[in-house]
Amino acid sequence: MSDAILSGRGLAKAYLSGDRRIEVLRGVDLEILPGESVSIRGESGSGKSTLLNLLSGLDTADSGELAWAGAPAHGDARARFLGMVFQSFYLIPEIDAFANVLMAARMLGAPGAVERARAKDLLARVGLAERATHLPSQLSGGERQRVAVARALLNSPRLLLADEPTGNLDEHTGDAVIELLLSLCRETGTALALVTHNVAHAKKTSRQLFLHEGKLSHG
Amino acid sequence: MPWYLYLALKQLFPTGRRFPFFTAISVLGVALGVAVLIISSSVMGGFGHKIREMTVDTQGDVQVRGDGLIADPAALQVQLMKIPGVVATTPFAEGPVAVIYQLKPQFPGLQGIDPNRIGNVIPLNRYITGGSLAALDDDSIILGSQLAIALGARLGDKVEVYSPLAFEKLRMSKGDEVFLPRELRVVGYFEFGHQALDGSVALVPLRAMQDLYGLGRAVHGINIKITHGLDADVMAERINAALPSPQHLRARSWIEINQDFLFVLQFERNMMFFLLMFIVVVAAFSVTSSLLIAVVRKTREIGLLGALGAKPRQVAACFCFQGFFIGVAGTLVGLGLGFGVLGVRDNIIEIFARITQSKAALLRFYQFSHLPSYTEPSYLVATIIGTIGISTLAGLLPAWRAAKLKPVEALRSE
Ligand SMILES: Nc1ncnc2c1ncn2[C@@H]1O[C@H](COP(=O)(O)OP(=O)(O)O)[C@@H](O)[C@H]1O
Ligand SMILES: [Mg+2]
Repeated sequence: MSDAILSGRGLAKAYLSGDRRIEVLRGVDLEILPGESVSIRGESGSGKSTLLNLLSGLDTADSGELAWAGAPAHGDARARFLGMVFQSFYLIPEIDAFANVLMAARMLGAPGAVERARAKDLLARVGLAERATHLPSQLSGGERQRVAVARALLNSPRLLLADEPTGNLDEHTGDAVIELLLSLCRETGTALALVTHNVAHAKKTSRQLFLHEGKLSHG
Repeated sequence: MPWYLYLALKQLFPTGRRFPFFTAISVLGVALGVAVLIISSSVMGGFGHKIREMTVDTQGDVQVRGDGLIADPAALQVQLMKIPGVVATTPFAEGPVAVIYQLKPQFPGLQGIDPNRIGNVIPLNRYITGGSLAALDDDSIILGSQLAIALGARLGDKVEVYSPLAFEKLRMSKGDEVFLPRELRVVGYFEFGHQALDGSVALVPLRAMQDLYGLGRAVHGINIKITHGLDADVMAERINAALPSPQHLRARSWIEINQDFLFVLQFERNMMFFLLMFIVVVAAFSVTSSLLIAVVRKTREIGLLGALGAKPRQVAACFCFQGFFIGVAGTLVGLGLGFGVLGVRDNIIEIFARITQSKAALLRFYQFSHLPSYTEPSYLVATIIGTIGISTLAGLLPAWRAAKLKPVEALRSE
């Protein structure tokens, strides 16, 4: 038993498309250590999102084993164990930035003063202290993604999974979001798995992986 | 507050939106249905109440009749008065007659009453619109208002009354005897506001009726007033139990006597209620379609909620609660609207009558210048429960759609 925060062994996933079987993942082995940052690159359609969905437990593998902090992954533990950031920001349009961040805590029970203070603090750390009462529609793309980052970190997860978080942002804004993600994870000791197309972004992580033909290799 | 209730409320009342359009329209739709239900069932209830009141006012609470004639009404009355709950009794005799005035015949039912005692059982005085009940003696008659108009007879005029007995006498005498009808002076009119009564009933003293029909001292039945608040059906049972059986007497409550008519009244109301409930159903359908659209539009956010740890049934509760909330709010607003309109109904009628210049006609056909209203608790409860139930059901289909979404697929959808 290693001290990995996440460990996947022989993860395989195939989709049936009509009568064709597409084997997207053919036995992926992956270990992420606490606080470490890992990047995963790969061509479009190579299965990066599929892999992250397996790692987050949102989707189930056809075969293979997945453990979170040494214990078999279980859906009920997800909200406390890991946070997620996606290419699209998925903010709830009816509530303001602060309430969107707090939503992560709300799912685990009524948020108290501690959670509120933390949400406020996180918003300040992503540089949006002044925008707390703004609705998602009043924020720019980069600002929305920063709200999503704050939301993903609210429950103090051990691991952050980011699936092309800069895919919908311009280069400059994207660079800033990546810097923010990396520094926040470093500060809070959160491990990070970052799926990206951008080589420069990938180089900033401590370990670079490459997904090709259903297998994960060192890039 | 659980997150799904919080989110449901936020979707109904988004932060920073001064006027929540979807919610307002949905609530208003349901509220209109509730208001129409309350107004119509209350007004119909008011009419029903009036009709029931009038029925009791003309028949008494309980009526005792025999197989044939009641030979000794006085003895029976004494017996009836001993039954607890019986307040007053009055005998009557009845039968069709021909009334002729200036060669115009009418064939009303003639009621023989006891002018001195009837007031104890039936508030007849309240319905006398001309002349007086006190003036009714053996040579006089009180006509229903419509009957008087049909005859063209006015107060003080003399009408001729033939009973079926007259034909019998004519036949027996083989035409060699001159038969004279009874001449009665019109001393009053009554008006119950009911065509069947006002157009075809006339009143004479019991003795005159007994004469006309050759009854001697016998009567056809006895009307009974019971203690206010007692159940008429229960009292009828009690009276039946106390009556001597060999006389073949039977007491029936006004409810039993008029059960066909009362059934029709009730049936009409229920049918109306049922049909108007469809306004709420239609409103609920629009809530369903709005919520379904919301589910489709929010597919990816619902996926995200799943990623944050939402369970399918919580997602379902979020949408179901929106239907429930619209139902509750719509019911409250609708009750306010409905009772508000009922509160000013006379003004509305007044304005309506002024615009259409139909005030006289309204007065003539409905006899009252103000609209009756009575909200029966059972209809009120049915409206509230029905509306909230239907609205909650309206949220069920969208809720089910939302709960069925798999987070991975919802997040993939573009
Ligand atoms: N639900 C699905 N049904 C069928 N095919 C799928 C499904 N999800 C993903 N795929 C296929 O799996 C492959 C990998 O998809 P994905 O993981 O999204 O790639 P990436 O994120 O690397 O671009 C693609 O070919 C995609 O078409
Ligand atoms: Mg992808």
